[in-house]
Amino acid sequence: MSDISRRALLQMTAAGALAAGAGIGPVFAEAYKPMLPIEKGASLQLLRWTGFIDADDKQWKANTEAFTKATGVNVTIQDVSWTDIQAKSGLSAQIGSGPDVVMGFYDTPFIYPDKLVDVSDVCTYLEKKYDGFYDVAKSYGYDDKTKTWIAVPMGGPGACVTYRESWLKEAGFDSFPTDFDGMLKAARALKKNNHPIGLALGHAVGDANAWVHTVLWGFGGKQVDENNKVVINSKETHEALKYAKALYETMIPGTGSWLDVNNNQAFLAGQISMTINGISIWYVAKQKFPEMFPDIRTAPVPVGPVGHPTNFNLFSQAFIFKYSKYPNAAKEYLRFMNEAPQVAPWVTGMVGYVTPALKAYSKLPIWTENPNITPYRDVLVGNYADGYAGSPGRAAATALNDFIVVNMFADACAHGASPEDAAKRAEEKLKQIYNA
Amino acid sequence: MKDRAGWRLYLPLGLMLLFLLLPFYWMVLTSLKTRNELLNTPNPWWVFHPSINSFISLLTQTQYPQWFLNTLFVSVGATVLSIVVSFCAAFAIVRLKFRGARVLSTAIFFSYVVPPAILFIPLAAVLVKLHWFDKLWALIPIYATFLVPFCTWLLIGFLRSIPRELEEAALVDGASWPRIMIKVILPLSVPGLISATIFSFTLSWNEYLYALIYMFSSANKTISVGLTTELMRGDVFQWGQLMAGSLLGTLPVVLVYFFFVEYYVAGMSGALKD
Repeated sequence: MSDISRRALLQMTAAGALAAGAGIGPVFAEAYKPMLPIEKGASLQLLRWTGFIDADDKQWKANTEAFTKATGVNVTIQDVSWTDIQAKSGLSAQIGSGPDVVMGFYDTPFIYPDKLVDVSDVCTYLEKKYDGFYDVAKSYGYDDKTKTWIAVPMGGPGACVTYRESWLKEAGFDSFPTDFDGMLKAARALKKNNHPIGLALGHAVGDANAWVHTVLWGFGGKQVDENNKVVINSKETHEALKYAKALYETMIPGTGSWLDVNNNQAFLAGQISMTINGISIWYVAKQKFPEMFPDIRTAPVPVGPVGHPTNFNLFSQAFIFKYSKYPNAAKEYLRFMNEAPQVAPWVTGMVGYVTPALKAYSKLPIWTENPNITPYRDVLVGNYADGYAGSPGRAAATALNDFIVVNMFADACAHGASPEDAAKRAEEKLKQIYNA
Repeated sequence: MKDRAGWRLYLPLGLMLLFLLLPFYWMVLTSLKTRNELLNTPNPWWVFHPSINSFISLLTQTQYPQWFLNTLFVSVGATVLSIVVSFCAAFAIVRLKFRGARVLSTAIFFSYVVPPAILFIPLAAVLVKLHWFDKLWALIPIYATFLVPFCTWLLIGFLRSIPRELEEAALVDGASWPRIMIKVILPLSVPGLISATIFSFTLSWNEYLYALIYMFSSANKTISVGLTTELMRGDVFQWGQLMAGSLLGTLPVVLVYFFFVEYYVAGMSGALKD
């Protein structure tokens, strides 16, 4: 039994959402009692990624203002493009100066764990109050070596299938298939009707990584084992690559160079019938493409031969640098921002673009408000972290930054390499990284 | 014969012009397209329903005017600082005969070829010590670190092309070195200075890495950083506004080149003679 009941959560979140809607900020701010003694005269600098949806930034700012009102701690927010976060936070770690709090992606905190404040107290509190973190969220915040939390898991901008319902029905499918075989059959039928699918195979940090890892893991392949030994060149990986090649043949030409933006554009231009993406396509269509919007549906990413979800999503956590003069204020800020009265309007405003890391937030009303939002509620269930099945850290981050797995799939699908050759090339590169 | 020479000249020139202007043409087209036309159009090389909505929303719904002013402030400041320092350095190396001047001029040029990506961490450590992080004006001396070496090298070449007899005559007349520098050499160096100015201004205007890394608050963003952080949201790009912003952002540089291109060529060729 969790410390917070569904009814209590709904009451808190409804109040928060109502308050935010009325433009007066979350009501929780008035009653907020800090858990830690906040340093006198504290002020904070937060480095975060520009919201994928503008409602994200607006509500985050409103929540931050509520924190300032409740605690007197002024917070300056610096928004940068999500792909620039790692460079900026890396520089801060190197020189020991910069933002107090950083919202990063994937396993960034594990590149310099010794430079980060232990946030175990905040995470333990949140875990107890909100039904715990999803497993993948924990793997991005909890350092197994020191048995401490070095980052507070925030949530994942998850990927689901986005498709055109009318075209899928024309192709003979009433709903989107739930397994890899079914997805391939549907893709072939759609292609036959001149409605190809489109999945990014270029250096798309979010989109390409998401689907290729899902396919790799769905067949039982992985880049390293539990001891960080490179095992990518396996029978399972070869099978995954053969499947991806078959799927690639149903795609619109050019996906080999697609970045994160391309599948959104192609879908909204009516050039593709299906892709795997965050909720941004559905959200943008709702606002700006009213003719297409009623035909857009979303569905969970299908399951591979392993028989369970093997999703890989973008994931954001927040960490505090030890050089911060105000670690308690920073911890309080992260706690405050993860409390229900703040999370509810935040997630509601951006229609579930970011799925929160805490399980209790799967009960938020927004998830059932529209059936197309619901699949995004569960994107963190059955997720693996990058570098699976090894431990997070510099090697896993480097492999992801170098697009080793994406390049392997692109080699096999778009560049004419055999699955065996593509896997062998990836194996050589991974060995260089993991043995360095 | 004459016609054939024309072909040989104008065909490559025309192809070169097409290659260089195509991105600008695409930028103009995209900035004038409506949302629907951006995604669905029978001919992507033309605008059927031009609209200036992207420009209006860029100027009214984003902080673009602020980014523009920031960029202008930093670019002008960095250019002025770099030109003053570079001219003094080049004058000293070329005109004041001291031991090691030749080696120094080579060393200055080599310092230019060190990539900014390598310098940004040590430079950041310096900025932290000086408490210059997130100070817009701090970009002026930061940009000078990569502008001064090249401008000095460029001006060294140009100053060498000015006859020594002029300053020797001034020396005979009793002029001091500072007076010679300002009254004799400076007026003759205008083409070289304009060339260095254009170079400095263009590099400062387009700079991205340092502006991204060393500035913190939104009020201190330059155009290149503002466009990428505010108009490229994850996997949703505001193409119309992005292209409108890029187009407006190129105008000052285009104007500078338009008025001073002849001096630019003269200055560069003066440097290359060296």
